[in-house]
Amino acid sequence: MSPQVIQTRLGIGACIAAAFLIFVGIPGWVSSPSNVQNIVLAPTFWPYVLSAMTGLIGLGLILAGRRTGGAASDEEVVETDGLGWPRLVALALIMALTMYALPRLGMVWTTMLVFAATAFLFRTRHRVTALICAVLIPLALYAFFAHVAGVGIPQGNFVRLP
Amino acid sequence: MSLFDSLIAGLSLVASFEAFFALFAGICIGVVGGAIPGLSATMAVALTLPFTFSLQPITGILLLLGVYKGGIFGGSIPAILIKTPGTPASSATILDGFPLAEKGEAGRALGMALWASCTADLISNLALILFAGWLASFALSFGPPEFFALILFSLTIIAGVSGESLLRGALSAMLGLLLATVGLDLVYGTNRFTFGDPNMMGGLNFIAVLIGLFAIPEIIAMAWNPTAHLGKARALGKTKVTFADYKRSFKSIVRGSLIGVFLGSIPGIGAAPSAFLSYSEARRKSPNKENFGKGEIEGVAASEAGNNGVAGATLIPLLALGVPGDVITAIIIGAFMIHGLQPGPMMFVLNVDIIYGLFIGLIVSSVFLFIVGSVAIKGFKFVADVPKRILMPAVLVLCIYGVFAVNNNIFDVGVMFVMGWVGYVMMRHHVPAAPFLIAFILGPLLEDNFRQAMLMSGSDPMILLRGPITWFFWALTVITIVAIIRGIARKAPAT
Amino acid sequence: MKKTTLTATILLGAAFGATAALAEYPERAINMVIPYGAGGATDISARTIAEPLGDAVGQPLIMANVTGAGGATGSVAVQNAKADGYTMLFARVGSHSVNPAMKATLPYTLDDFRFVTVYEINPVACAVTPASGINSMDDLVAKVNEGGVSYSSSGVGSLLHLAGAMVLKEFGVEDPLTAATHIPQKGGGAAATAVLNGTATFLCTNSSALASFVANGQLKPLMVTTPEPVVGFDAPTANDLGKEKLNKLVGWTGIAGPDDLPDDVAAKWGEWMATATQDAKFNETMSARGSVIELMNPVDANAFIQGQFEIFRDLVDELGMRIEG
Repeated sequence: MSPQVIQTRLGIGACIAAAFLIFVGIPGWVSSPSNVQNIVLAPTFWPYVLSAMTGLIGLGLILAGRRTGGAASDEEVVETDGLGWPRLVALALIMALTMYALPRLGMVWTTMLVFAATAFLFRTRHRVTALICAVLIPLALYAFFAHVAGVGIPQGNFVRLP
Repeated sequence: MSLFDSLIAGLSLVASFEAFFALFAGICIGVVGGAIPGLSATMAVALTLPFTFSLQPITGILLLLGVYKGGIFGGSIPAILIKTPGTPASSATILDGFPLAEKGEAGRALGMALWASCTADLISNLALILFAGWLASFALSFGPPEFFALILFSLTIIAGVSGESLLRGALSAMLGLLLATVGLDLVYGTNRFTFGDPNMMGGLNFIAVLIGLFAIPEIIAMAWNPTAHLGKARALGKTKVTFADYKRSFKSIVRGSLIGVFLGSIPGIGAAPSAFLSYSEARRKSPNKENFGKGEIEGVAASEAGNNGVAGATLIPLLALGVPGDVITAIIIGAFMIHGLQPGPMMFVLNVDIIYGLFIGLIVSSVFLFIVGSVAIKGFKFVADVPKRILMPAVLVLCIYGVFAVNNNIFDVGVMFVMGWVGYVMMRHHVPAAPFLIAFILGPLLEDNFRQAMLMSGSDPMILLRGPITWFFWALTVITIVAIIRGIARKAPAT
Repeated sequence: MKKTTLTATILLGAAFGATAALAEYPERAINMVIPYGAGGATDISARTIAEPLGDAVGQPLIMANVTGAGGATGSVAVQNAKADGYTMLFARVGSHSVNPAMKATLPYTLDDFRFVTVYEINPVACAVTPASGINSMDDLVAKVNEGGVSYSSSGVGSLLHLAGAMVLKEFGVEDPLTAATHIPQKGGGAAATAVLNGTATFLCTNSSALASFVANGQLKPLMVTTPEPVVGFDAPTANDLGKEKLNKLVGWTGIAGPDDLPDDVAAKWGEWMATATQDAKFNETMSARGSVIELMNPVDANAFIQGQFEIFRDLVDELGMRIEG
């Protein structure tokens, strides 16, 4: 992506976000009581100001994107193996599953799976080490947080650790 | 009682093995606690608090102060090594510390962090001892209008950490300000962007956002291209910080310490803005401005000086006024009260031995910090040698535990993940993350103080210009903005 | 012998799940949620009782601060927890009587909890700076009628917010919401600072939060809400001033579980608290902070909280203080 494309894209994104907030987001999701004496004290005042400024910055970015010449610096090298996107999706999936599993499986078992899954997603060269770490690191962290720091690490419905 | 008598009384109080041992142990606990993301200095202090109940007052308080000081330094270790600030205060250290580690100079960055921390700590403690009374009365003249002007000025540091494009930095800051509006409204208590979820009502957890924004994007980037780091020298390389480095950064360290002392003595701001302000000032004054953000040792020095400079100074409002400056000092005040001590002006009369005992302990703590820190650096440096594709999953797991531990809430882990993707998109579009973070910290302060000022005056905006302090900061703000605009104008014809 | 039974129960518990385990409650550590931040009044009170209470329970108590939204985030965490007695809440006046009375959108009501005890009462005191020239409640009311008076609180829907309005109302100010400006701050420390630096005129809060300022002569107490005087506070009581109704305006800390908490669990908590509050060190530490130790059994605790809630709710209705939306 050239700087020009980036600037323009960001600018358009900011403008859309600002418009969305001003017309949909703030009226819909910021509740303001009816007895507000002064507009500057209303809960909606500050979000409106910020949205408007975001919009202005977006316009600025679009303008700046048009002004700067195109091929200034193309330092970004395209990924090597073309599997970047599938891996991103896989990582997002791992994170979503983590959120699902944390209260059900408990933090220790979940993080063991997370460790193993991400290590293999990153195609590590040290597979055995990765598996050993996947078991040991969550256990060590559990021992530390639960028994030294006294944090109630979620235990889940199945196997409880002492 | 003369100063000398007070000193003797204080000395007789701390001159025991337990007192110094408590201080030393506290620093050890703090460094380790601070080095574990999510555990943070705050948690470490809170966890140590119950142990102080059974100790002598001075011993217990020295223990807590040790944890506090150790924690603030400890936070810089993971910030440099794995781009995950152990404590919010060390987020500015990432900006140059992590690039240095990537260049194979983790040892140098860590060493500089320690030297800067100890120097700033010493300056801060001296400021506490010499100027406590004066700075405290100054702090009390800060009402909402003064805060508003100060924070508005602080927001101009965004320009200093925006990197190549000011507009993209401003966009990042706007996103941070907008995200900070989530939660219950300060004045009316109504919901803002909470979608009825009780987890959102408290606002997004700061540490979850922080870790999500800095640490997680690195992990996502690894999924995009797992072999990008190969061929880069990430090992320790030149392991020592040199005296020449220290000398070169000395000005920035002193400046950062003074910024820290100033911001620390005003209750309610905390160490993170101070570190960013110090960093941005160092960059502005430096001859090699361009190198900041790409691994400039002076950047690490300035950030660490900025946040450690706060550590001693937050005790000024605590001891002189009985007012906590941040969460950590709020816990420490609790410890004072449990021992029947009531911090405030009378304490300098009634318990002067304890005050001087603390002063002596604080001075010693800078030395202890240096010793413990040197050992800790040696201990943690191995992290830089761990293969990156094993390290990253470990960081991810560590972040899950750490972020959960901050508020015992699984929801925060989700916030961290989502913010990670936001951070990744920002990274891909060359939008700097630091302005986002600064805005996220300062945004609520800015809004709250603005609205409190409006409540005070019955919505008369003139209150924002009510006294010399406000004029001073308004003037500074205007000067800075003019300087920024001129900087842009000068750069524009060149491109 | 005891150890073998314990191991057996753990194994059984693992095999048959939570219901079987309840028979030997408690057979593992209990999660105690503190809905406020570290260093606050609730936190210190909770961590002080934790030691003797842990001994009485015979299992570790895991203290977990879940902060946010004036205690709502932590309270909801317990409301949604399994009612097996392994997740309990340190309930506080702010989260469990002021908030339910003031906030229409609160995600829980008092009925979602079963209180097993209230163990601590904190008198409320009102204070001003000596520089303000206000020496009594009458002075304050006179100033309020002149206009320009404000009071600070630790946030909307906090005890301090309601207390300021309630005290003025009791002292004959017709419409305290418009007569005096409420300036919310973030947290109790900031609220006291706001009075110190002149941002606000007065505040009414737990005496423990004011004790050090009063002892140092930085703040001047005008009155305390308890029938008995508070040590260290040279100020008349509400009863001296003929405002007995303000006796209900006190802070408290208690322990609660989800509303379907079994009876035997609640009963066990009653016993444990009776033992724990006997502890000399606990009593000493708490009194040093200005709290009054007053143990209530589950029935009394529920009645006490309900009573305070109703008074607050009526006041909120009368003044139109309810927060909608």
